[in-house]
Formats: sequence, structure tokens, C-alpha cells
Amino acid sequence: MKIPVKFSKGEKIFLGIFFAAYAGVAVWNFGKVEFPSGIAHVWQIKVPLPSILGTLNPMTIIMTALLLVILIYLAFDFKRHLKKIPSRKQSAIELVLSFMYDLVKDVTPAEEFVRPVFYIATTLFLFILFSNILGGIPGIGIGVSPNGSLKLNLFTDTWHSPTGDLNTNVTYAIMVLFISHIFAIKLKGLKEWAKGFISPNPIMLPMNIIGEFAKPISHSLRLFGNIAGGGIMVLMLSYLVKYTFVPVILWGFFGFFVGTIQAFVFSILAIAYIGIQLEQ
Amino acid sequence: MTAELSMAQAVVHAAKYIGAGLAMGLGAIGPAIGEGHIGQGAMESMARQPEMVGTLTTRMLLSQAVAESTGLYALLIAFMILLI
Repeated sequence: MKIPVKFSKGEKIFLGIFFAAYAGVAVWNFGKVEFPSGIAHVWQIKVPLPSILGTLNPMTIIMTALLLVILIYLAFDFKRHLKKIPSRKQSAIELVLSFMYDLVKDVTPAEEFVRPVFYIATTLFLFILFSNILGGIPGIGIGVSPNGSLKLNLFTDTWHSPTGDLNTNVTYAIMVLFISHIFAIKLKGLKEWAKGFISPNPIMLPMNIIGEFAKPISHSLRLFGNIAGGGIMVLMLSYLVKYTFVPVILWGFFGFFVGTIQAFVFSILAIAYIGIQLEQ
Repeated sequence: MTAELSMAQAVVHAAKYIGAGLAMGLGAIGPAIGEGHIGQGAMESMARQPEMVGTLTTRMLLSQAVAESTGLYALLIAFMILLI
């Protein structure tokens, strides 16, 4: 199945201006490339709150808010243009959503939980997909130079991806864990749910608890490792070729290909974790 | 890096580079074997049922992305040793 890509005139003008600006910045950067030594540090501000809440990553908050605005606008736009006879965009989106719905229906054993799980999984998928793709497009960001002061990155780095920050991923993974247990309690009742922890015999209780805690750790670190590791690798390789032509290809690979697959893996694992808990 | 290093600092630097190399090199073995097995299974089933190629390719990429994650942990650890 091949979908032909067609751009309207406005999109062509936008892409032309974007690539021209990118080429200009690449030439401008060429002479004064320095080793990206501050890449392990991010911009942080302190707020007067108890210890663990006291540090904020402003770039993550800004980009998350931006993504939410974009996604909500796209959703309303999509709803306004719904038609009985679908356009190309609408049928593509319907294809993806019905694929997800079939997947959820196969995994979830309880009929009444199919739609809630579908909503959760699709929302996670869309947000993570857009933020990963944003991590594959050259953009504007604020970084930290080695001596600790802030500096503006103009197209020498990708947009700051919210999923490249471990806080976002841990939040979603723990959210999935809580949702799975709340659904299980709702479906089976408190007694049956607690019996699930001593299911083969009571000796397995510590094992089951450790298994539950290991789920969000691997779930979040997988996404974080892919996005952050890819970002650092792209920066290193961009430094080696002085920010000229290869970064565009690398950004495409790490942003679009890896990003799509990892967003899909994250939402499928969320469906699987919830589905396991719902089994009678 | 150009500043004069004492012996202890030099040993620490050398150990950092060796440690990062070992972490990445050893950590890449497991995912490589795992992804090879997944690719082998997918190829065999594609040869047996050529009409399933589309589905099998997506499933293969998905399971390879899951199997890859331990290698990515090793990559992160290597970067943390080198850069922080």
C-alpha cells in the first residue's frame, strides 16, 4: 500500500523557506563548530517546594504545553471536517485508529473495558508520536554551555522532545500501572485482586510485588533510552561532519523511524499490562 | 584536557574511557543475538507463507525494538560515564 505524498502551495512555500533557512544556518555554523560538551546538562530552575518537587525542567514544560495545544487544535480541526465519505486524511487516521481498536479488542478480555483502554492507549500513542517526531526536526531550543550559562540553539539541535526527559516517561508509566490496578479492582473486586498477588502460592508474594514495580521502570527507560540516546548520538555525529548535510538524514532516522516504532511499542505495552491485570 | 594532569587523574580518565568502551561493547552482544533470532524466525515464516510478509515485517520490527532496549541501557550508561 503506497500513499502518494502531495503538498499544497502553502506547504511547499513553508518547506522551501525552512530548508533555505536551515542551509543558511548550516553554512553560518560551519566555521565555528565546537565540541558539544554541555550536552549531558539541561536547563533547570529551582522553586521553593519540598526536595523532590523543587527542580523544574522549563524546556520540557514549554514543549509539553506546545504539543498539547497542537494536538487539541488538530483534534478539533479533525472533528469539524468529519464527513460520511472520508477524505484521504480522514481515512488514514481512521485506518490507524481502527487498527489500534482491533488490537485492544484482542487483548482485553472484559467487554466493558475495551473503550477506556482504547482511549488511554491512543492518547498515549498520539502524544508520544508527536513528541518523538518533534525530536527529529531541527529547531530552536535553550541549552547549557559548559560554564553554566544558558545559550540559544538555533537549528544546531532538534526541538527539545518531552519524551527525551525521564520525568515525562516515568509519569506515564506509573499512570499506566495505577490504571491497570484500578481497572482490576473495579472488575474483580478488592478480594479477588488481592488474591492475584498470592496466585500460585503465598511464597510468590515478594516476586509478584517486585514484578509489578519492575514494569514501569523498564517501560519508561526503554522510551527514554531510545530518544535521549538517539539525540546524543546525533549530536556527536553532527559535530563530526560540522553540521552540514548528514544531520538531516540522521534526524529523520532517529526522529521518524525510531520515534514511530517506540511510540507504538509504548502504547502496545500499556495495552498488554492493562490486559494482563484484567484477566480473570 | 590540555591541562597538566596528576597521575591519579590520568588513571581516572583512562579508566573512564576503558569502562565506557567495555560497557557499550559487552552490552551490544545480547541485543545482537536476540535481534538475530527474531530476524531468523521472521525470515523462516516469511519463506513458508509469503502472503504474510506485511504483517510479519511490522511484528518483527516491534519485537526487535523491544529486544533492543538492553543495548540502549548500555549506550546510556556509556554516555553517562563519558560525559557526566
